[in-house]
Amino acid sequence: MVTIAAGLEAPSVRAMFAWPRLRVALAVSLIPFLLLVWQWTSGPHSLLIRTTALGLAGLAAFGVLERWPHRLPRWLARWVLQLLGVGLAMPLTMFLFYYLSTEPGAPAFWRDADRLQGFLGLSIIGMMLGWWTGLFALVRQKDVLARQQALALELQRSEFERQALDSRLRLLQAQVAPHFLFNTLANVRELVEARSPQAPRVLDSLIAYLRAAVPQLDAPATTVGHELQLVRAYLEIMHMRMPDRLQFELQADESSLGLRCPPMTLLTLVENAVRHGIDPGEEGGRIDVRVQRQDGRCCAEVRDTGVGLRAAAADAGRGNGLGTGLSTLRERLQLAFGGDAQLRIEALQPHGVCATVQFPAVDARRGRQTSA
Amino acid sequence: MMTARPTALIADDEPLLRDALARLLAQAWPELAIVAQARNGREAVELFETHRPDICFLDVHMPGLSGIEAARAIGNRAQLVFVTAYDQYALQAFEHGVLDYLVKPVEAMRLAETVARLQQRLRAAQPLGDIEALIEQLAARLRTGSEPARLRWLHVAVGSALRLVAVDDVDYLRSDEKYTRVAWRGDGGKPAEGLVRTPLKDLAARLDPAQFVQVHRSVIVNLRAIGQVKRGDNETATIQLKGRDEVLPVSRSYLHLFQQM
Repeated sequence: MVTIAAGLEAPSVRAMFAWPRLRVALAVSLIPFLLLVWQWTSGPHSLLIRTTALGLAGLAAFGVLERWPHRLPRWLARWVLQLLGVGLAMPLTMFLFYYLSTEPGAPAFWRDADRLQGFLGLSIIGMMLGWWTGLFALVRQKDVLARQQALALELQRSEFERQALDSRLRLLQAQVAPHFLFNTLANVRELVEARSPQAPRVLDSLIAYLRAAVPQLDAPATTVGHELQLVRAYLEIMHMRMPDRLQFELQADESSLGLRCPPMTLLTLVENAVRHGIDPGEEGGRIDVRVQRQDGRCCAEVRDTGVGLRAAAADAGRGNGLGTGLSTLRERLQLAFGGDAQLRIEALQPHGVCATVQFPAVDARRGRQTSA
Repeated sequence: MMTARPTALIADDEPLLRDALARLLAQAWPELAIVAQARNGREAVELFETHRPDICFLDVHMPGLSGIEAARAIGNRAQLVFVTAYDQYALQAFEHGVLDYLVKPVEAMRLAETVARLQQRLRAAQPLGDIEALIEQLAARLRTGSEPARLRWLHVAVGSALRLVAVDDVDYLRSDEKYTRVAWRGDGGKPAEGLVRTPLKDLAARLDPAQFVQVHRSVIVNLRAIGQVKRGDNETATIQLKGRDEVLPVSRSYLHLFQQM
């Protein structure tokens, strides 16, 4: 899962004086040196020490206030604190220098006009440069942060896209499984060989199924009516293959046929009912599909009188079983409706399963208009 | 023995496919008498006992008793030919073995090859050899072809009802003697509870370790359901869950999982 960085982490002590920062501080501290060295009476060395100290003090103040204190009152932004700190650090540092470097017996530096001038000059230039440098650094930080966030968002979006693509790929793999296709064709060939009048009708069902199943890849959604056609074609084929073990009935509200529905929603449930409910039982059973529209929601129910959930547990260990199909269905419902769709699978008495999908009723035509 | 017509039994749950095989065999081996047709494994074994055919054509995938299980019951008392649909696992399993098999839809040419082999074996009156071992090998290969998948759905009993709950919706699991109590996000996000008739240990082995963490000998929790972890005395801790009142214990041996905090 990609999380968006809440902010750059405060650097450790070592990072406070890391080379990139240090060289900036030292470089900037050369400016007052170059400005004042012409008129510095005590020689360039003493000036260089002081300007370097200014640079380091500013850097230290900036770095320390970056992480301490941890919690700030709401009215005080950290960057304000940092700049204030840098500003204060300059005169403070200079005070220390001048105070400590006063010869024993000499008057305090603020009585010495020359030294006072030096102190004030360095402090003021230090403060100005400190604020400019500090602001520059803060703006750069914010810039880096913004770019990080944009990158993270981009990553999250492409991750989401990849998931959606994965889901569609799995859909593709689930459709038109060779197992189903070859078995059905074997049946159809037999019908043709026996010159059975059923043959054309079964071929029609197979064509309808294939035609409905394949183009789903491009369409992110289809309609309930379309899904029902697919389900009808599939059940007709399965009934042809095991006439003694499968009965079925489809019922749907007229008002539900035009509603938007993620592809293979009903088919997944019906396939599960056949593969894991009806087929494993020697006596087979019956499948009833009902679709209703009520109060802005669509409710589709697939009931079977097959072997039920208990027996399906044995299959649950295998890869392409009940679990995978339902999981991808759940994913597709999530992608299409967010949290607003429900999938519920319950055991029926005396035996069988009732699978219910509930989702918001969205007219397919309107849906297409509102989406970009 | 050799003057009598050879006999065969066909077993397949799809009636049209039984007819198809019978028709193709009539063309490829007119001498062969199809004495019985079974619609599932159980019938296949029963009809075998009644008619004792020389050859049995068994569809691998049948309701109730499968073709493999029927083969085990029949053993080496008849020549066995398995019939399988186009299924990558099945095909792999058969390709590596020596047992005869046919793929649906059955092609006349492949059937002719199989028929030739069967005829030769019947003529030579070869003893059938250790077929049991071969069948076991095949069964094992078919099982491993589809590896046990990560658990995605749990069979949860809620009162007298039984339903499937997505593993992703589960907040935590707690062992209850030989079974496991499951707490999950139900319809509309409401907290719900039920019972799974499997010991916690078995479930733990099949849950995604990146999502579910064992925090106590009898508790496994879904990471996304954790609200807060509170340190307690005696090197233990408790977990407060998001949207639920229950508090879960973290025992000493699992405390290290939360040390980073």
